[in-house]
This record gives sequence, structure tokens and C-alpha cells, in this order.
Amino acid sequence: MVITIKLRGSLIKYFNGQREKTIEVPLDCSAEEALKLAGIDWPKIENFGFVAINGKRVMIYDKLQDGDELKAYSKISGG
Amino acid sequence: MLGYQNNILRINLTKKEAKTEPLRMDWAEKYIGSKGLSIKYLYEELKPGIDPLSPENKLIFMTGPLTGTSVPCSGKLAIAGKSPATGTICDCSIGGHSALKIKYAGYDAVILEGKLDKPGYLFIENDKITFEDAAELWGKGSHEAEAMLIDKYGHDYSVISIGPAGETLCTMACINSDYYRQAGRGGMGAVMGSKNLKAVVVNGTGGVKIPNIKEAVKRIAEIEKEDTLQEDNTFVYDGGTTAFLEACQDGGILPKLNFSDTTDEDWTKYNGEVLLESLEGKRGCGSCGLGCGNFLKMGDVVCEGPEYESISVAGPNAGNSDPVAIVKANQVADDMGLDTISAGDTIIWAMEMTEKGIRDFGVRFGEMDKYIEYLKLIARKEGIGAELALGVKKLSEKYGGTDFAMQVKGLEYPQYEPRGSWGMSLAYAVSDRGACHMRAYAPNEEVFAASIPPYTPEGKGEMVFNLAQWNAVKFSLCICDFWGTLNMELMAELMTLATGKEWTAADMAEVGTRVINIARAFNQREGFTAKDDTAPKRLFNEALKNGPGAGQKIPEEAFEDMKQQYYKVLGWDENGMLPESLLATL
Amino acid sequence: MSDANVVFTLFFVLRQEHLERMNGTMKRLKFSKEKCIGCQLCAQVCSAIHEGMYIPSKARIGIETYYDRGGSLKYKDSYCTLCGICFKNCPTGAISKDDRIKVDYEACTGCGVCADKCPKKVIKIIEGKAYICDTCDGDPMCVKVCPQGALRFE
Repeated sequence: MVITIKLRGSLIKYFNGQREKTIEVPLDCSAEEALKLAGIDWPKIENFGFVAINGKRVMIYDKLQDGDELKAYSKISGG
Repeated sequence: MLGYQNNILRINLTKKEAKTEPLRMDWAEKYIGSKGLSIKYLYEELKPGIDPLSPENKLIFMTGPLTGTSVPCSGKLAIAGKSPATGTICDCSIGGHSALKIKYAGYDAVILEGKLDKPGYLFIENDKITFEDAAELWGKGSHEAEAMLIDKYGHDYSVISIGPAGETLCTMACINSDYYRQAGRGGMGAVMGSKNLKAVVVNGTGGVKIPNIKEAVKRIAEIEKEDTLQEDNTFVYDGGTTAFLEACQDGGILPKLNFSDTTDEDWTKYNGEVLLESLEGKRGCGSCGLGCGNFLKMGDVVCEGPEYESISVAGPNAGNSDPVAIVKANQVADDMGLDTISAGDTIIWAMEMTEKGIRDFGVRFGEMDKYIEYLKLIARKEGIGAELALGVKKLSEKYGGTDFAMQVKGLEYPQYEPRGSWGMSLAYAVSDRGACHMRAYAPNEEVFAASIPPYTPEGKGEMVFNLAQWNAVKFSLCICDFWGTLNMELMAELMTLATGKEWTAADMAEVGTRVINIARAFNQREGFTAKDDTAPKRLFNEALKNGPGAGQKIPEEAFEDMKQQYYKVLGWDENGMLPESLLATL
Repeated sequence: MSDANVVFTLFFVLRQEHLERMNGTMKRLKFSKEKCIGCQLCAQVCSAIHEGMYIPSKARIGIETYYDRGGSLKYKDSYCTLCGICFKNCPTGAISKDDRIKVDYEACTGCGVCADKCPKKVIKIIEGKAYICDTCDGDPMCVKVCPQGALRFE
């Protein structure tokens, strides 16, 4: 299936400054598996924040569906 | 220790006397400066039970050992006193340049005592201190008063001022500096107004000494390049706090319609992209490395800001998606010298009361012309403003609607929906000055986090303690919140460079804990216990309908459990109180 | 003309040509105001390096931003551009200039002509001496700490 990954904050460096990419992923792929395929190994990134599918925060192991938008954020401190 | 001026300026406004005295270096070794040290001074010098709006209250402007050095993000000033909104201790952190001016003038702190016999302002230039008449300034907006003082003295001077809200002793009054920076919460502006003090004008041409300064400057410059300026912090330069909007929207903690729900599908109408189209320039505080200030011009609406809090409270939480109204509300609140969060929360509570037919306050969700008008009425305590100036706690005690009066101890809720971030309900409940997001910023750990569940009480006591400890020591150095990657090791290194005394990461953590404890001890002495660490019943009874937290509400047992976890971590008893043995260490 | 005068004149002509050649490739401070956040770290480290403490009132650079009556953002950009007007007007010859300005403090009388003539209004006369930027010996500290790269040396 095909999904779009959008990056926020300091994560955009993983796409060389681009903010989004469309990639092919296997059926029943999880958010963290999709990120790994796109070159983002989240446990190794110190300031990795959270992920949202179609604008809603999910847990990193939640599953994607065809056509989903996966957003990945770095942590942001403050208020 | 170096870094300090070892000099306190004590002002008796009643007698119009200015005296200097040495800094209590023994206290500085335990509490460092800014937040921690100002609370220690107030703990020692204020008798319990005083009226915060009486001449017995003190207002302390406190710097830290790093103030005036080239440590990035070290330019904020702590302003502390007993809060007229809550009766607790309250310390604020104001940006701009006044902290540096006070330090270069030769002082670690200015302590304001007593009360002027009529409206006046204080002039400080190095060791020249004069008491000036403020008859021409009194009644004017904070912006005009600051402009008049700068016209008179010049741009080298920093102005700290109150608006009409402080003059009328509104408990939501803030203190302003540099036009658009605030000591926002807890009614510190009313404390200043109760002393008939319209402004403090300050300039300093002296200096700050640190050991081996030439090597230190180079090392600090390295830290600036390697740590402060990394991308995880520079989002602040790119968009300021508007970046939080999207994260909170997706994270399910952006509040809507007086915290009745979360997420707003209209958020792209007032988000960072829209607001920053009107960006004229960026601005930071003295010694800043990041520059969070967005100076916007939308026609005749001009403002540095709005910050995430002000966007949310005048945006989705008020049922509004017009960005110009949001910025206008910020500009008016700043000029009136009113805390955008507390005043905004009060108006949106009044909106819900009106919509529900419980009491007609004459304003409904989305009516931004009325919202902006009400800000002015509250500041001047005129018309409906005289009532609304009471704040949601007192208003709901009078008229009902307590379940959705979103406050703790009399301080209104910052803009993060706790049903979407359960640890936040704890952070709000136990914060030292009432509901505050700047003590423990829970969303960063449980919402902006990949695998931590936000909708459970497990481990939240420890989580909130760690966050509170980190902020408590950071704000005692003091270093601005936005240097988010600053850790205990770096803080220890910076303190060692600046003071010449060896500080370790463990020392930093110890100071953080001690500062939390002394703030709690102050409140304990005023009669606060676990029963005052509350949450509005809305969180227990009403489930969210939208967003990732749809269906979530916090069971009251879970909330009480989180409180007990927190008390246990700190060694407090089940009533949230410090035992004698712990009090003796402070 | 006497021999001494010929030598003197030749010296000045050659020196002028050398300076004009240098001015083309000479590094100077450059400032982009849209990147400036008004933090004044430049003045802080300048004074720290030269005076042994953080005392911006004695800095040899003065870049600030301020709000004009809260309504517009203004910039004060006092920094040395190596224009050399101070050097050309110094009545005692205390100021010399090649790729940086140098002040001979024995010869400086604190008359203040340099400060008056400086088009960037960055020269300060403090306790009878002229405080002028010396580019930190060709490696300016202000440029190193400027957080957003508003100051460059090129």
C-alpha cells in the first residue's frame, strides 16, 4: 500500500530538508515499520516525539492503512 | 561565588528609602538565584497570613548568577511575591532586557517593600535611585506608559510597568516589559499596583565578572553552537510557539469551547503559517540565542506574539477561528496589563455560562468583539468587568458552573486538555502557584512521545516530579524554557564556569528538589494541603468526544492515585505536607 | 624638495596604494538586520574579551533592536565597517589602520574627534580613551557568538 510520511520539527533532516515523501509499504505495516523503511529508526533518535495518522496521535506500533498520512514529530519543549 | 554582584537593592516605598545589603550567599548556595532564591527570601521575610494586596507583601525582582553573561537564553528576570489570585507563593519569569540592566546596575535583586503614598515610578541608574511622580502615567495603558518613559529617558533604559489592570488591583493583572513581555500569572501586576508603583525604569553600565572569562567565553560559545543552536531548539526561531498548535491539535490536547472538547478542524485558519504571513521581524531577550518573539503587523493590529497559550484561549477555546481577532485580543491584553490566560479563561467560562443559560454574562462563543471589549472592562473593573475580574473560582462559587470553572487554587488553566494528557491534571494540581504548565510540562513526556500512554495514571507521579525538578532548577539559574535540550550536566558546567564553584549534575537535581520543597513549604504555612490540589469535575464526569482522546475522562480515583504517587516521590505525607525533618533542611 | 620630503611623499603614496589594494580584499564586519534578534551577545563578548568582564557599556560594538512606541521594530546597527574616517581625522595620529584599527593609548588624548566623525556612531570615549573595534586580531568574537549569523566577517 502507499502512504505519505510528513515530518515536523528537527526530523526534517532525515528527508534532507524535505517535509514529506510518499512511499510504498507492505500491508498491515505499523507506523514504526513505515518509518524504518523511510530511513527513520526512531529508538535511536534522542528527540523523537510522536506520530499521528491522519491528524490523530497514535502509538508508534499502531497499524497503517492504504492512503494514510503518517506525521512524525520531534519533541518540543516549553509552552 | 562569582557571577553574582553580592548586592541586593532593598526599596522601602513607604519611606522612599533605598538601601543596599549583601546577598545571602549561604542561601544562594542552596537555591542559586531567580526562582529558587526569590522564593527563599519570601519564605524567610513574609509572615504567613498577610494580605497579598497590603503593603506587607513584597515584590522581588531576582536575577541569577548567569544573568548578564553570554550564556544563551539567560536573560529572564524572576518576579515573585505572594499571589493575590491564589494566596500561594508565585514566581514569574519575564523576558526582555530588564534582568541584564538590573545586574549591570550592580544588583542581584531589587526587593520592593511597603507602599508609595501616591502613584509613582522608581528610577534606577547604577547607584542613583530616585522616586518619581507617576500622575501623568497612571490610568494609561502599559504600552503608552512605557513609550512615555522611553521618550523621556531613551532606549538604553528598560521599563517594567503595569497597565490599568494592575492599577485596579485586578488579580489577573500582569507586569510588562519591553512592551510585549510579561510576568503573566498570579496577579503580580496587582501587587505592584497595590504599592502605587506604575513602573520601574532601570539602566546599568557596570559589569558582571566570571572566573577565567576569556576561556569561559570561548567554551560558552562552543556550547551555544553545539547545543543551544541545534534543530531541536531552533524551531523557536522558525515559528515560535505557533509550532505547538499543530502538535497539540494532532496530539488531542488543544482545548475547544472552554475545555469542553479537543481538536478544531478550523485550526489551519489561525495557525503559524497564517500568522507568520504578517511577520515583520524576530526578537529575543537579552543574551538570547533563539529569538522566539514574532513581531506581527496585521493592519493596525500590532503585537509581538501571540504565543500558543494566547492563540488557543482566544481561538478554539473561545469558539473563534479569526486570526486577526486572536492577535488583537493579545495586543489589548498586553496593553491593559492583563494575563491572556486567566482573563481569556474567565471570558470563555462566561461564554459557557451564557450559552447554558445558567447566568447571562452577555457573551457567547465566537463573539470576539465582545471578548476584546470585555478585556478592557475587566482591566478597568467597569460594567460587567467588575464581576468578571473576580476570576473563575470566585465567580463559580457565586453563580455555579464550578464543574467547568477550569482552575486550581484560583489560577486558571493553561491551554492543554488534561483528559488528553492525564499527567497534566496532576501537574496543574500540584504546581506551586495554582494551575500552571511551566512547572511540569507533561505533554512533552506523555503526548509528544512515541510509546508512552497518555490515558493512564501509571508512573505519572514520578514523571511529573522529574519534569518539575528540571524546570525548578533551570528557572533558578535562570535559563529560558526554550533551550529544551539543556540537561543537568550542562547546567552544572555552566554554573561551574560562571561561579568558580564546582557544581555537579547531582547538585543541580538537588537544587531542583529543594526549590519544589520550599515553594510547597510556603504554601503549607499558608494552610494549603492535599485537598487544595484539585481538578475541575469536568475532567472526571465528561468524556472527550473528538481526537485521539475521544472517550477519555479521568476517573477520580486515578487522579487521587497520581497525587499520592507524587507526594511519595517527594517524601511528603498523604496530606501532601512536608514532614518536620524535611522542613528543617530548607 | 628635500630628500627627506621625497622619501616621505613616496612612502605615503606607496602606503595609500597598498591600502587601496587591500581594501578590495580586506575583511570587514557585515550585518544582516533581518537575522538579528537583538540579543546583544555581540556587545557582551566584545567587552568580556577586551575588558575582562561582561560590561556592554564598554563594548566596541553596539547592535540593538527596540520597539518604537510598541508599534514598529527598529535596529541600531553601530559596528565598525573599517571606513577609516576616524584614522583620517585623528589629530594626534594615535589611530592607525591597515586591515584593522589600532589605537596607541599613549598618544590618544580622548579628544573625541573620532567618535564625533564616526558614521556608525560606534566609537566610545571612556575615561579619556577611544574604544574602537580591533576585529579581535582578525577573528572577531562577536561573529562567533551571533546566534543567527546576522554578523559576518568577510
